[in-house]
Amino acid sequence: MEPRRDDLDLAAELRALRPKPRPEFAVELDRRAEAGFPRRERSSASLFERVAERLRTTPPRRLLVPAGALAVTAIVIATAIIATSDNSTSPPLSFRAKAPDEIASPVKPAPGGPAGPESQPKHANGAASAGDSSGTQYSEAPPVASEESQSGRAASGVQSSSSNAGGSGPFASHANHREIERAAQIVLGADPADVRGDAAKVFDAVHAADGIVLSSSISDAAVEAGARFDLLIPSGKLGDTLAAFSSIDEVLARHESTQDITAPTIGLGERLRDSRAKIEGLLAQLATTTTDAERTAVEAELRAERARAAALRSRLTDLSRRANLSRVSLRIETGKSSGGSTGGAWGLSDGLHDASRILAIAAGVTVVGLAIAVPLALLLLLLAWLAHRARVRSRREQALSRRV
Amino acid sequence: MTDPGPARSKGVSQALAEPTAAPPRGAELVFDQLYRSNRDDVYAYAAGLLRDPAAAEDVTATAFERAYRNRSRFDPKRGNGRAWLFGIARNAALDELRRRGRQAELAADPVDAASPAAVEAVERSERRLVLSAALAKLDGRERELVALKFFAGLSNAEIADVLGISESNAGTKLHRVVTKLREACDGAP
Repeated sequence: MEPRRDDLDLAAELRALRPKPRPEFAVELDRRAEAGFPRRERSSASLFERVAERLRTTPPRRLLVPAGALAVTAIVIATAIIATSDNSTSPPLSFRAKAPDEIASPVKPAPGGPAGPESQPKHANGAASAGDSSGTQYSEAPPVASEESQSGRAASGVQSSSSNAGGSGPFASHANHREIERAAQIVLGADPADVRGDAAKVFDAVHAADGIVLSSSISDAAVEAGARFDLLIPSGKLGDTLAAFSSIDEVLARHESTQDITAPTIGLGERLRDSRAKIEGLLAQLATTTTDAERTAVEAELRAERARAAALRSRLTDLSRRANLSRVSLRIETGKSSGGSTGGAWGLSDGLHDASRILAIAAGVTVVGLAIAVPLALLLLLLAWLAHRARVRSRREQALSRRV
Repeated sequence: MTDPGPARSKGVSQALAEPTAAPPRGAELVFDQLYRSNRDDVYAYAAGLLRDPAAAEDVTATAFERAYRNRSRFDPKRGNGRAWLFGIARNAALDELRRRGRQAELAADPVDAASPAAVEAVERSERRLVLSAALAKLDGRERELVALKFFAGLSNAEIADVLGISESNAGTKLHRVVTKLREACDGAP
């Protein structure tokens, strides 16, 4: 569309009203342009104002990525610090002192299931074979107990020392009885003056549980006071006995381990049953022999099979004992107890120790607080800054609309 | 966040640092061309919008200073250099308006009364006097359009870029403003 002549005239007249800069201003500006626009003196502008100006002139998209990256980095660092702190400050699970009701073994003995003290062998030499159970780790044998094997096990006369109470657990559908070997180590901290009294309490607790003291060593010398016990405790009373030990003095460390020996027990039972059947067969064969040579050969075979059955029975008894009696190693130490260094009196070193602990805890709390606060603050700052940008933009437009 | 800006116009002869001797290259060259071809246009736009020659000088200096500081961010391939520069000038001018907290009154003429061209114009044409009065009655947005189009000489596309509107929208708004001015001139006694 052709513009109207009036409009063209108006445009020309408007262009004629175009403001022109003063020549002095133009010269000065040219000079500054040639100088690369050096910053004008802003003595009144503080660092904060200069940073604010810098932020104001920076496009939002240029700040979003760095701010987001900073927030994510802070979260990652804080998480790493917390994770590292957790790993380094928390003792391993097995060495953490537990509450009495926390220490119950993973597989609880059924009521009446474990063999009572009356049925336990109370001689120390029997425990020698159980010595190899120390240091066993948590492991469970695959569920191999079938109906047939269980019946065979019953036939062999093997007593179950423990069972899976309630029939629950990963192997419940396959076997109701599990042979579990248990071991425990416990370290108590005591004042040197209390070592003998604590040792007496240990003996009392072992006696109350109908346990066996394999060996003991007590020293109440001022420098190296301490005690050491190797014990056999009926598995059914292990939890209560460990709780009794824990109440004697301060628990410095405690470790429990279990090993499922169901599979070897069942396997030995089956082999014993087969051996017995073979002996019975040989005896029947012996009754029908007619010649000396035949009799001699069968008797030799019978002797060998009886020896094999005796060995199997011995190993089965050993396994049964390992399931019925838990090996406990107990130490009473002096010097590591929190109150032991000065004979129970709270002193300067204890104060320093407590102070360092409080500082460490305070530092941890601060790190956790910062881990939460810093990313949140960054995000809030970013939101506030975006809101501010929007407000500035809105006010600029409002400034155009204002009319005085 | 307000821009403290330079002290009001004793020219722009505030304390200056030593000139840098580096020869213009790349972004420097682009900026140099942008400066030389737009210096007067930016001033004309600022003066037309603010109706205060001293403030217009400050805004012009501030706009070029900001543009120079951010010259590396400007990519000629991605946009019009004039639109980018006038966007910066517009922000500086609006900041000035905000700082003053009021819209400058166009007392009689958008140009400096001492300007020989203005004096000549007023003397030469009664119609221009009427036009100046009509300009004074425009609101800020309308006067900004006039300043961008007729004082700074921007195309409709460039105006659209500066204001963040479509080119057709810019053309429509301009047409309305021109019509308003023509009616004001025609209706004047």
